[in-house]
Parts: sequence; structure tokens; C-alpha cells
Amino acid sequence: MSEITGRSTGSPSPAGTSPPPAAADQATPASPKLEESRAQIEAAIEQRLRQRSRRNRRIYLLIRIVSLIIVLAAWQYYGSKSTPVIFDPLTRVLGALVDLFRHQGLGAALWYSVWTFAIGYLVGVAAGVALGMCLGAYRRAEAAVGLYVYALYATPMVAIVPLLSIWLGFGVLTQELIIGLFVLFPCVVSVSYGVRNIDGDLLEVARSLRMGRASLWRHVLLPGTAPYIATGAAQGVAMGLVGMFIAEIFTQLSGLGNLLETAAQTYHTDQALAVLLVIMALGVTLRGLITLVQRKVAPWAK
Amino acid sequence: MPDRALPGAPAAAPPAAPDVAGGRIDCANVYKWFPGGIVLEDVSLTVEAGQFVCIVGPSGCGKTTLLRMMAGLAEVDHGQVSIGGTPVNGPDRRVAVVFQHFGLFPWKTVQHNVALPLRLAKTPRAEADSRVADAIRTVGLTGHERKYPAQLSGGMKQRAGLARALATAPDVLLMDEPFAAVDAQVREVLQEDLLALRDRLRQTIVFITHSIDEAITLGDRIIVMGTRPGHIVRDVLVPIEQPRTIAQVRRHPAYTDLREEIWQQLRQSAAEQAGEPVEQAGDA
Repeated sequence: MSEITGRSTGSPSPAGTSPPPAAADQATPASPKLEESRAQIEAAIEQRLRQRSRRNRRIYLLIRIVSLIIVLAAWQYYGSKSTPVIFDPLTRVLGALVDLFRHQGLGAALWYSVWTFAIGYLVGVAAGVALGMCLGAYRRAEAAVGLYVYALYATPMVAIVPLLSIWLGFGVLTQELIIGLFVLFPCVVSVSYGVRNIDGDLLEVARSLRMGRASLWRHVLLPGTAPYIATGAAQGVAMGLVGMFIAEIFTQLSGLGNLLETAAQTYHTDQALAVLLVIMALGVTLRGLITLVQRKVAPWAK
Repeated sequence: MPDRALPGAPAAAPPAAPDVAGGRIDCANVYKWFPGGIVLEDVSLTVEAGQFVCIVGPSGCGKTTLLRMMAGLAEVDHGQVSIGGTPVNGPDRRVAVVFQHFGLFPWKTVQHNVALPLRLAKTPRAEADSRVADAIRTVGLTGHERKYPAQLSGGMKQRAGLARALATAPDVLLMDEPFAAVDAQVREVLQEDLLALRDRLRQTIVFITHSIDEAITLGDRIIVMGTRPGHIVRDVLVPIEQPRTIAQVRRHPAYTDLREEIWQQLRQSAAEQAGEPVEQAGDA
């Protein structure tokens, strides 16, 4: 800071030899010189802030890397001291991962899971957004079906999985439906809340502009709810992944969940851990994707 | 509450023939009740086309309610409000409202906010574009068209709000404490700009404020309202010629007297209020 004020006192100050800093400087009438030095100061401050945030970001990254190294090292250390059935060191898990990919169809399982998830997720989000919009915007819709939606929302979804497989069998459709149901509710709740919380002032503006129903949806309700749709969709990713594994473990059809279950049941702990790693990576990737979409969809919400 | 999200279909007002009285506002024996009691009692007021009327009064005097009735946003419980000779029932295309809270859609840029009423009216693209550009230039927002409201200062937001109101070239401009949400310096700049604009626009303007200074500065005429129930206590013409500037107003010999007079009026009606029992809400 002192270096900056030092530069600014370079402006013509009749006081001469040792002008008291800052305060005296501002007291002098604004001259072009002063304006110029102010611009300089502002630029310097801005650059300093930018530097600081860049440095902070570098520090955070460093912390992250160090933490990762510690965790992985600990994993390796305790894994190598443990019995293979209970826990495995990182190196063996990575070996199992490669092996699973090469010989046991991890790639196909991953592909299958991702596809099933994508379909179930999209259907769930679409249905959830539509239902949430209706419940939020139309009191009568809420009166008609709100009760069931909230009752189902309060029920652990896992509880209806067995019923679904009785009704629909153990096919892909069942899996997709289960994922869809898991995704549906966070979307419904978030979106209906979003619609209900649209600024009343803006609704009045819409009224004064004589908006019809279609225009109201297009210009006010949909964009106004977009951040809530994004929130619901993001929560839906986490819920949908849970649904995906429950469906796969339960229906024992295929996919990552099935692979995990098989590995665990045959006491291939290294393989189970390897699949778990893949699952984690999948979850993180999907979350990141959603955040990206969120930023694209609602740029004004920054 | 959610049902509020569904305003009825646009009022199918018959396109009024372009007549001289296009911007004339008539309020005849208007009453309004709220659940808590009576808000407006027997308000009658005629605003001539092209007049700039300021309505001053303490909070709770129903001035905003009166404006909302003119805008077709609040129902008239008794009596009638007409614009250009046609009774108001619902928002009208000849009327534009400037809101205290700016009323800009956060997800639309300045450009799109201003263009919205034209878009809703299905104005041909080329014409709409030029009118939007005009309106934005008029309020001095050129260069900010692509910004979102969150990127604008309060003063600029209200400029955008005004541009949107002007874009449709309405006969009547209803302004509900438009400058109340910006700080004092910006407010003066906006007042000065509105005065300068005034000379070019010539629409009927109803301007709600609780600042006596603002009313005298801007208005051709001032309506002073009292509370409980809201009623008109004074109707005075401002004897300062238009066009004017804030400095001219402040220096004008009539300024201090008028200011004092209105202030006394407001104080007196407040004192009367304190002295006598509150009007019965039971006559609703």
C-alpha cells in the first residue's frame, strides 16, 4: 500500500518537501495530474486484487494436491498392512481396475450404466419440471395431486423398488423408471417452490404489460424458475445415481452396480474398490457437467 | 397466491380513435376498500391530456392505489376511472407504468426489457428496433443495451424502466414513486432529465411522490392527499412556467411559498387526523 500512496504524492503539491500522505493530497484541488495518478492507483489496486486471487487459487490447488497425496499414501500404507479380503492398497486396486477393464467388461458396464442413467435422468427431470411447474402455478393442480406427490416424496424411494420390479419385471425399463422416480422428486419440489416464489412485483409488471398466458410462461415463469430448475436438476444427479445403483443391485441385470455387487459377494475387495472409484468419478463428472449447464442456462444469476 | 400468476387474457379494449382527449384521465367518485377498512373515499379528479400531475401525500393515503386503478391493476370498488373517455377495466395499451421497484426482468438485457411491450404487441421487427433504440437514446442509456439489470445502478435501472414505458408511445405515463429507490444525487439528475424530456414527450403524466420538493419541481399541478381514508385535500397549479430546470424552480419566488403551503396542508390534515377518531371502516 505504501508504495502506491508514495506514487500518488508525486502530484504537484505546493506544500513542498514532505507532504503528509493521502489526506493532504486529496485536499488539493483536482488537477489533471491528480486524476491521472488516481487512475494509476486504481489500476494498481485492481492488479493487486487480481494477483491476490490468482495466488489464492494457486494455494487452494496446492492444498488440494497435498491432501490428495496424503489420502492416497494413507490408503496405500494401511491397505498393504491389511488382509486382502478386508481392504487393499491403492496399487492393487488400480491393478484390479485395469484388469476389470481388460477382461471383465467394466467398459461395457460403465457404458450401460451411463446410458440407463441418461435416459432415466432426462425423463425424470422433464416430468419433474413439468409437474413442479403445474403444482407451483396452478392452485387447483396442487389441490388435485399435491397430496400424492408429497406423500411419495416423504417415502424412501427404495421402498417402492421391490414393487416396481413385481409390476414391471427386471428389465432395463424398470431400471430407467427407478432412476426417473429418484430424480423426479427433487425436481418437483425445487421447481414448484421456484414458481411460487417468483417476484410478485414482476407478475404485476407482466399484468400491466397485458401478457397472455403463453407470454407469461415464456417471458416470466420459465426464465424466473430457471435457477430452480437447475438446482433440481443438480440434486437429481445425486439422487439419480443412488437410484441407478439400487436398481442395478436389485435387478442384478448389468451395469456398474451389478459389477460391484458381484465383486463384493465373491470377496474381490480390490475389484469392488475399483468399481467404487469409477462410480465416484462418474458422480463428480456429472456434477461438474450440471454446474456448467447451470451457468449457461441462467447467466443473469451470477 | 399462485393464481395471481395467471392474469386474464389481455383486455380487448376497442382501439380508441385518435382524439384530442386521448390522454385525459377522469376519476369520478372513486372508492376503494381493503380488508382493513376504507382506503379511498370519494376521490374525483380530472387530469387534462398532456398535463403533468404530481400526487403528494403521506404513506397510507391511497395515492398508489389511485394510480394502480388508473393503470387497471386495482379494481375500482365504486365510482369510475376513465382514460380518454373509456372506462378502465384492466391494463390498457395506451397506458404505461413506471414502477418504484423498476420492474425489470432480471433475465432480460436492457434491450430486451425495453423491447418486450412491443414484442408482446407484435410490432414489426424493424419498427420495434428503431423505437427501442429511440427510447433507449431518449433516456440516455445508449451503450448499455446488452447489460442485465443486475449490472446497472439504480438510476440506470429506472432509466431502463422509463425507456420501456416510452417505447410503446403511450398517451398516459403513470409513475409510482419512480425515484424513491435511488439516492439523492441520482434522484436530482433523473428529475432534471425528466424535466428536459417533458418538453418533447407531451404525454399525460401522473407522478406519485411523497416529496413536496419533487412535486413542485416536476408538476404542472399538485394534488395533495390526506389519509384515513385517502382523500384529496388540495389541488393546486404550480405557477412556474415549463420548460424549467431544478435551479429555476428553486430560485422562483413562488417556490418557497408553495412548499410551505403544501407542508402546512399536510401537517394540518395530519393533526386533524390525530385529533379526531378514525373513520369507521364499518360503512364498507
